[in-house]
Amino acid sequence: MNLKTKGVAKYINEPLVGRITRDVSSTGENSFLICEEIPADINTNSFEAILTSKDTSHLVENKPAVYAVPNFDHLSEGDIVAINEDGNINTLYRVNSFHNVLLATERCNSNCLMCSQPPKDRNDIPRLYSINQKLISLIPKDCIELGISGGEPTLMGEMFFQTLENLKEQLPETEIHVLTNGRSFAWQSMAERLAKIDYRRLMLGVPVYSDYYQVHDYIVQARDAFNQTILGLHNLARYNQRIEIRVVLHKQSIPRLTKLAKYIFKNLPFVEHVAFMGLEFIGYTPHNIEKLWIDPHDYIEELGEAVEFLSGQGIHVSIYNSQLCVLPENLWQYCRKSISDWKNEYLPECQNCLKLNDCGGLFRWNLNKHSDYIKPFTAIEM
Amino acid sequence: MAHINCIKDGEIIVFANTLLFSKDALFKCLYWYGDKFHTSVSFADVDNYCVKIKPLSTAAINSEDLELYQQKLERDLIDFQLRDVVTKETQNIRDLIIAKAFSNGEFDEDPPGDVSDPVGFNPSL
Amino acid sequence: MIESKANRKFKEAAFYNSQNDGGYFLLPFKFHRLNGEKEILVNEVGDYLILPTGTTATIVNRQISKENNSELYGDLIANFFISEEAIHPLIDVLATRYRTKKHFLNYFTGLHIFVISLRCEHTCFYCQVSRVTENRDQYDMSIQNIDRGIEIMFKSPNPHVTMEFQGGEALLAFDNIKYAVEKSEKIAGEIGKQITFVICTNLALVNEEILYYCKEHKILISTSLDGPQSIHDSNRHKPHASSYALAIKGIKLSREILGEDQVSALMTTTTLSLEHPIEIVDEYYNMGFPGIFLRNISPYGFALRTEKSKYSTDKFIEFYKKALGRILEYNFQGHYFTEDLARIYLTKILTPFNTGFVDMQSPAGLINGVIVFNYDGGVYATDESRMLAEQKDFTFKLGTLNDEYKDLFFGAKAQEIAQVWSNEALAGCSECAFQAYCGADPVHHHATQGDMYGYRPTSAFCQKNMEIIRYLIELMESEPKIKKIFESWISKK
Repeated sequence: MNLKTKGVAKYINEPLVGRITRDVSSTGENSFLICEEIPADINTNSFEAILTSKDTSHLVENKPAVYAVPNFDHLSEGDIVAINEDGNINTLYRVNSFHNVLLATERCNSNCLMCSQPPKDRNDIPRLYSINQKLISLIPKDCIELGISGGEPTLMGEMFFQTLENLKEQLPETEIHVLTNGRSFAWQSMAERLAKIDYRRLMLGVPVYSDYYQVHDYIVQARDAFNQTILGLHNLARYNQRIEIRVVLHKQSIPRLTKLAKYIFKNLPFVEHVAFMGLEFIGYTPHNIEKLWIDPHDYIEELGEAVEFLSGQGIHVSIYNSQLCVLPENLWQYCRKSISDWKNEYLPECQNCLKLNDCGGLFRWNLNKHSDYIKPFTAIEM
Repeated sequence: MAHINCIKDGEIIVFANTLLFSKDALFKCLYWYGDKFHTSVSFADVDNYCVKIKPLSTAAINSEDLELYQQKLERDLIDFQLRDVVTKETQNIRDLIIAKAFSNGEFDEDPPGDVSDPVGFNPSL
Repeated sequence: MIESKANRKFKEAAFYNSQNDGGYFLLPFKFHRLNGEKEILVNEVGDYLILPTGTTATIVNRQISKENNSELYGDLIANFFISEEAIHPLIDVLATRYRTKKHFLNYFTGLHIFVISLRCEHTCFYCQVSRVTENRDQYDMSIQNIDRGIEIMFKSPNPHVTMEFQGGEALLAFDNIKYAVEKSEKIAGEIGKQITFVICTNLALVNEEILYYCKEHKILISTSLDGPQSIHDSNRHKPHASSYALAIKGIKLSREILGEDQVSALMTTTTLSLEHPIEIVDEYYNMGFPGIFLRNISPYGFALRTEKSKYSTDKFIEFYKKALGRILEYNFQGHYFTEDLARIYLTKILTPFNTGFVDMQSPAGLINGVIVFNYDGGVYATDESRMLAEQKDFTFKLGTLNDEYKDLFFGAKAQEIAQVWSNEALAGCSECAFQAYCGADPVHHHATQGDMYGYRPTSAFCQKNMEIIRYLIELMESEPKIKKIFESWISKK
C-alpha cells in the first residue's frame, strides 16, 4: 500500500489539500478530480485541482494540476490528499481506514534508539500546521479515531493546543490519540493549557521504557527525559487528563520490565491503559539492531509477569505487534490487532495458520526480522 | 585501656565508642530492653559509653539466655546507630516531602534539564 | 538555529549518568531484620525492597556503586531510597505519593456511630455495655439527641458520611432508627451530601417488614457471626434460644430481600474460638461470605475481666496463622476468599493507596475518621471509648451532643489525644520499618497500659501488628503463588 505518489506539478504555488473524486459531475468544495481525459464540457470551477496520468497538453489554464502520475490505484473516493509544488501527492486521510494519523512535525527532542520515524532538524511546523488545519475541516464527521503523531507534537507549542481546539470543535465525536513523550508537560503551564481545552475524547500515549532514569534516558537518547516525563505525567494527572503508557520491548527495556510494571502501578496508578509493543524493524532500528534485538520468545516470561501484574491490579493492558504463536496462550487475551492495515503483513508460512484471522501479524518491515519461533497453528496440534 | 563486652554478675556490659555511636541511638536501642531489663548508660571513659542491662527479677531470664541477649544488644546497637544516621541525614528532605505533600503544588520544583530539540523550543513561553 | 547532524549521533549509556563523583544522598527510609538472611527496607511512602542482611549498612556507608552493584543501585534510585541530587528531581512525585497515603485525612470524619439503644436481648459474656431491660427512657437515645447528632453529623466537611446504628441491639429501637434515617435522607438530599446507612444487629429480631424498610432506604446490615453453632452460641448467649440459628436465619432472609452484598458479618475471637480456627473459617466460607475478618477481642473493661476472654497476643497470632492457612487453601483450590485484616495491611504494603480502616491509621482514625454519639448524649472518640465509659473511665469523652461542633472535634480533649495519635512521633514507632503499614491506637494503649502514649515493648497492639505484617511479607516473598493471591485480594478490579 502506497501513501504517496508523484507527478509533475502545474499552477501549484503552495500545498493544496483536497478530497479525491473520480466523479466529474461531483460538485463538492475542495475536490481534486482524478481523470484520464478531461471532458470538454467540464465545469472546472467544481474542482480545486486536477490529477491525471496524462501529459501536460490536457491541462486547463491556471487550474492547479499534477500530471503524469504513474497511477491512482491506492486512492479511494473521499480520501484526502495534499498536492505540493514538487508534484508529490501525499495521502493524509483514508476513508476506508481506522488508522488515520495527523503528522504534527518531524522535529523531536528525543532520539530513541528504535525510532521508527527518525526526526528531522528543520522547522516544518508552520507548513504542517497549515495543511492539518485544512485537513481537519475536510475529515468526515463520523471519523471514529484519529491519531496525532510526530516527531514530538508538543514542540508545536501554542499551535499544538490550537490544533486540539480545532479538532474538538470540528470532530466532536472523534477519539483523538496523541503520541507524545510527555516531557513538555513537566512544565506546569503546558499541562494547564491542555487542561483548559477540557477534551474528554483526548488520550495521550506516553512512552516510559524503564523505572530507572539512566536506562530510559539512554533508550530515548536524551538527558533528564525520564524525570521530565514522570513529572509531566503527574502534571497531566493533576488535571485529570487521560493517559496511556507505551513500552517498546527490546534488549534495553526487558531486563527491568517487571520492575517497570510495579513502578507504573506505584507511581502512575492513574493511567488508563498500558501497551507493550514489539520492536519495529524500520527507522533507526536496523542501525541499532545489535543494541536492541532480543527474540520475543526470549522475553515472554518478563512480559507475562508485567502484563499479568498490571492487569491484576485493574489496569487495562494490551500487547501490540506480537504474533500469537510466539506468546503463551494466557497472554493471547491481551493481544490486539494493532498494526495499521497498510503496514500489516504475514509470513508465507502464516497462510496455512488456523489462527491467522485472530493474529496481529507483522509490520511489513519486520518480514525480514522476526522471532525464530513463528510457526503456523495446524489442525493436528489444535 | 581496651573495653571488652562481657557478662558480669548477671549483668550484660557493652561498650560503645562515642565517635561511632550517638547518644540518641543508644537510648532508642535501650528503649526496647526496658520491659525485661534494668538499663543504664554511663561513660566508661571520655571516649566510650558503657551500656549495662540487668534482667528484672520478674523477667525469668536464665543465665544461658544472657549470652544471646548480649549478642542481640550488640547487634541492635549497630542497627539503631544506622537508623540514627538515616534519620539525621534525611531529616530535612523528609520535612520537605511532608510540607510539599500538604501544600497545593505551590512549592513545586522547576522541572530538571532542557526540553528543546535542536531547532529550538521553550515550553515556558 | 539549525544544528549540525552530529547532535543526532547515538551516545552510550554512560553518557546519561547524572551521578557526581560516585556519591549519593540518602532518602528517608527504615529497615528491619526479617530473619538471619534478609532485611526489609521501607521508604517514606511504604514501598519496600527485601535485600540480604547487611545491605542497609553498605548503603548508609556509601559502599554501593553504580558499576559494581548496578541492578541494586538502579533499584534504590528507582524506588526512592537514594538520590543523586540533594533534592531528588522527582521529590514532587514522592510528595504526591505521600499525600495519597494520607488521603484519608482529606475529608475528615465520615463514620458517625449512633448508639441508638443500650438495651439488648442477648447476654454475650464478652459484651462490655449492653443491658437487658425494658427501660426505654434510660437506655434509648432520645429524639432530641438524635436530632442533635444528625445536626453535628452534617457539619462534617466529608462529602460522604456514614450513619451507623449500634446497640445494645439496635433493632430494639427500630422506630427511632426510622426517624433518624428519614430525617437524614431529607437533609442529605437538600445539602447534596452522600449518606450510607448501616444497622449493626444480631438479627434475632429481624423480620420482613424491617428488611423491606432497609431495602427501600438502602440500609446495609452488619451482623455478628462468631463461627459454627457450638462456638457462636457459647460466645453469644441468648436466653431460651440459639443465637446462631437466629443469626443464620436472619442472614438468609436479609440476603433474600436486600441482596448478597448488602449483608456483612463480623466475628470476635474468644478463648474458645482460639481452638477452632479451621471451623470458623469454614463457617464463613460455607455461608457464602466472600471473606472473613479475623478480629481479636477488644481488651476493654468487661471483656478482660472475665477469664473466658483473656488470652495472650501469642495465642491470637497462632490462631490467626492457622486460620489464614485455611483461607489460603481455599484460594489454592481456585476460590476467591479473603481475610480482611490481611487485606488492610496488604493494601498498605503493596499499593500506593491506603484504607479507610480507622483502627490502623496514623494519624489515628478516632475523630479524624469516626465519632460516636452515645445513647445518653455523650460524644466519644471511638466505639471502644464509650465502652471504657461504661467502666467509669471517661478519658475519651469529647463532650456531649449539646456542645458546639468545634469544641467536640477541635477542643482540649481532641488536642490532648492528637499529641499521641501519629506513630511517626511515638517512641518505638518513629524508626520502625513497618510504621507506614501500621497505625496509632491511643485508646488501646490507655486501656491496656494506663497511658495513651503507650509503651511499645509491652504493647499487644505493637506485638500483633509487627508479627502479622512480618508474617504476611514472609509468606508472599517465599511463595510466588501466595503473592499472586494477595495481589488479587487488594485488586481494584
